[in-house]
Amino acid sequence: MKFVIEGNGVKVFGKAVHALSRIGDEMWLDPLEKGLAVRSVNSSQSAYGCFVFTPLFFQQYILQSDVQQCWKAAKCKLNMKCVLPLFRCVAWRERGVDKCEISINIPNNRVMFRFHCRHGITKTYNLGYQECEALQAVFPSHLCPNVLTAQPKLLSDIVVHFPVSQEEVTLSVSSAKMSLKTFCDEGTRIKGMNTELSLHPDEFDYFQVGVDSAVTFCLKELRGFLNFAESHGLPVSWQFGVAGQPVAFSVEDMMLEANVVLSTLMDQNQEGSLSAPGGDGVENTTTAVADFSFGPAEAEDADIVGIADGERVASSQNSEVFSPALHVSKMIQFNRAEETQPRSSSTTPVTPASSQCFKIRSLLFGAVFSDGGGSITGDLPTLVCASDTEEDGGVDDGLG
Amino acid sequence: MKFRSKIIDVGCLNHFTRVVNTVSKLTKSCVLRLTRDHVYFVLSGKISTGGVSMWCELLQVNFFDEYQMEGVSADANEIFLEVTPENLSRALKTAQNAKSVKMKLTKKNCPCLTLAAELPSLSSVSRVVTHDIPVDVIPRRLWHDFREPQMPDFDVSIYLPPLKTMKSVVDRMKNLSNYLVMEANLKGDMNLKIETDLVSVTTHFKDLGNPPWGDDGSQTVSQSRDDDLMAEVRVDIRKLQQFLTGQQVNPSKAMCNIVHKRILHLIFLHEDVSLQYFIPAVV
Repeated sequence: MKFVIEGNGVKVFGKAVHALSRIGDEMWLDPLEKGLAVRSVNSSQSAYGCFVFTPLFFQQYILQSDVQQCWKAAKCKLNMKCVLPLFRCVAWRERGVDKCEISINIPNNRVMFRFHCRHGITKTYNLGYQECEALQAVFPSHLCPNVLTAQPKLLSDIVVHFPVSQEEVTLSVSSAKMSLKTFCDEGTRIKGMNTELSLHPDEFDYFQVGVDSAVTFCLKELRGFLNFAESHGLPVSWQFGVAGQPVAFSVEDMMLEANVVLSTLMDQNQEGSLSAPGGDGVENTTTAVADFSFGPAEAEDADIVGIADGERVASSQNSEVFSPALHVSKMIQFNRAEETQPRSSSTTPVTPASSQCFKIRSLLFGAVFSDGGGSITGDLPTLVCASDTEEDGGVDDGLG
Repeated sequence: MKFRSKIIDVGCLNHFTRVVNTVSKLTKSCVLRLTRDHVYFVLSGKISTGGVSMWCELLQVNFFDEYQMEGVSADANEIFLEVTPENLSRALKTAQNAKSVKMKLTKKNCPCLTLAAELPSLSSVSRVVTHDIPVDVIPRRLWHDFREPQMPDFDVSIYLPPLKTMKSVVDRMKNLSNYLVMEANLKGDMNLKIETDLVSVTTHFKDLGNPPWGDDGSQTVSQSRDDDLMAEVRVDIRKLQQFLTGQQVNPSKAMCNIVHKRILHLIFLHEDVSLQYFIPAVV
C-alpha cells in the first residue's frame, strides 16, 4: 500500500506528528478505508490524540497494491522519537519537499517514508514498527451535554495566560459564562500562582451548555493540538459533560479530522462512594459511566482482528492491566452483575506517576474489533483494554 | 493593611512590566515595599545571594492611575511584602494589551497580590484574567533589614560606558575567568581586567566622565584625590553579567561608584525609576 502526500500536505502531516508528540511517546499508524489514522496515547492513558487524514488529503491513497498483503493487517506502532525528526525542520519542509511517500512493508515490519525533495534529492527512511492492535478511545461526543466551538485563535489566547508548567486546569461553564482556572488541590496547597480567566458566551461560535459543570484536565497535552488548529485555521469544538467524564477537542474539514480526548478529574464527592464496594457505589458508577458507552469502533466499520480472530476477549477478568486492588474489586462487582457479557468495565481512577494526589479517571480504550458494533449500548459500560499485543494482557500499555 | 491600584495607560503598563522583568532577572525573591508615594523592590544582601543587594525605587504617580494604600498602622504607613518577581512578571506578560490592570492586596488561602487584567475581547463583555500571586507579609520588626542603603563613601564615581559595549565585553570575559577587576579614576578612565594563569585581558575605556557629586553627596575626598589614581574592586563576574543582561529599561544615566577593594555600586537612573545594585568585592 502506498500513500503519497504532496508538498503542502507534508507540512500539515508534520504538524500533526508534532501535536501527537506532545501527547505520547508512540505513534499508531492505521490505514483504513476512510483514511489514514495516526494516533497517540500518553503513558498514563489519560490523553489520547487521533488524526484521520481522508483520501482527499493524499495525492495517492492506495490501500491494496499487492494481493498478498492485506492492508487490514497493517497495524503499526512506531516510536515517536524515530518519526518526529523526519518532520522536524520547518524551513526544510516548506521549501524543499515536493512530496512524501509513505508505505508499509508488512513482511519486514517496516514503514517507509520517502521524501522527494528539490533538485532531485530523495530521502528514504525505513522505520521498524511493532505490530499491535490499534488503540482507540471511542467517545460518543454527540452525547455530551456541553458543546463549545471557537476559533483557534481564541483558544490560544486563553491558554497563553497559563504558565507552561501548569498542568491541571479547571474548565467551568454555566449558561452565563465560561471560565478556566488553575487547578488547586484542596489537600496540598502549593504556593504557586493561581490564574483565572473568564469569557462571555458571545466570544464563541457555538455555546451550548446542557449542564453547568466544572471539569479538570491536563493542559499540557492539549497545547500541541491547539498549535495545529491555529496553523490550520480550523474552529475547534469542545465536548464535555460533568466532572469525571472525558473532555474532547476536535477539528475537522474535508481532508482531515482530528481530535484529542482527555480524561478529567473525578468529582471528589463521588470518589468516596466509588471506593465502597457493593451495591450503591457500584450503581452510581454504572449510571455515571452510562452516559458514554465505550464500545469498539463505532466509527470503524470493517476492522479487524482480535488476538484470536473475531473472538472476544474477556479482558477485564484476566487482564493484568489494572494494578490497584480497588479496580479489581470493582470489576468483580461488575462481572457478577453482567455475567453474560463477555466484557465489563469500571471506571478506573488512576494515579498518574506525576502526582500522587490526583486520581484522574483514565479513558477506556476500545481495541478495534470487528464485531457488529451495536452490541454494547448505553447501559453497560464496556471495559476494553488496551492494545493487547502478542503477550497476554497487554501489560505495556496498562494503567498505573 | 490595604492596597489597591490601577494602571490604565499602555505606556505605563509596558514600562512597569519592563521594570518588573529587570528585577525578576536579578533575583528570585525580593521585598516589595509600598509607601504612599513610592514603590520599592528591595533585595538585602545576604550570604545566600552572594552578598549582592538591590534597591529599585519607582515614583508611584508616574505609573499608576489609581493608587490607594493603607499601611500597617498610622505611624508606620507602609507595607512590606516578600514576593517572587517572576510571578509578577509572568502575570504582566500576557496583559500587555489590556485595557486596564488592577493590582491589589487580597487574602485567598494566604495573602496574595491579585492582578486583574481586563483584556480586549470579541464580544461586548471584556475578558478578565485574574492572577493570584502568593506573598508573605513582612512583620514590622524586620523592616530595618530593608532600609534604603546609604550611599557608600566611594573613592571614585564614574559614568559607565554604553551598556551594550560593556555587556559584550563582560560576556566574553566570563568565558575566561570567574573574577573581574573593575578600576576607574577621576579622569574618566575605566579598565575591565581579567587575569588567569594563561592569559590576562584588559579593556580600556576613556573619557567616560565623572558625575559631579556635590554637597549632597557624602564626598569630601574628591578634591584631595589624585585624578590619575585608580580605585579598583574585584567582583564575581557572573553577578556583574547578570545585572547587565537583565536590563530591559534603557537608563538615562548609568554610573558606578567604587569603594576601593570593597564594593561596586552600580546606579541606573531613569525618569521615574532608579535602580541601585551593590556587588561586594571578592578577595
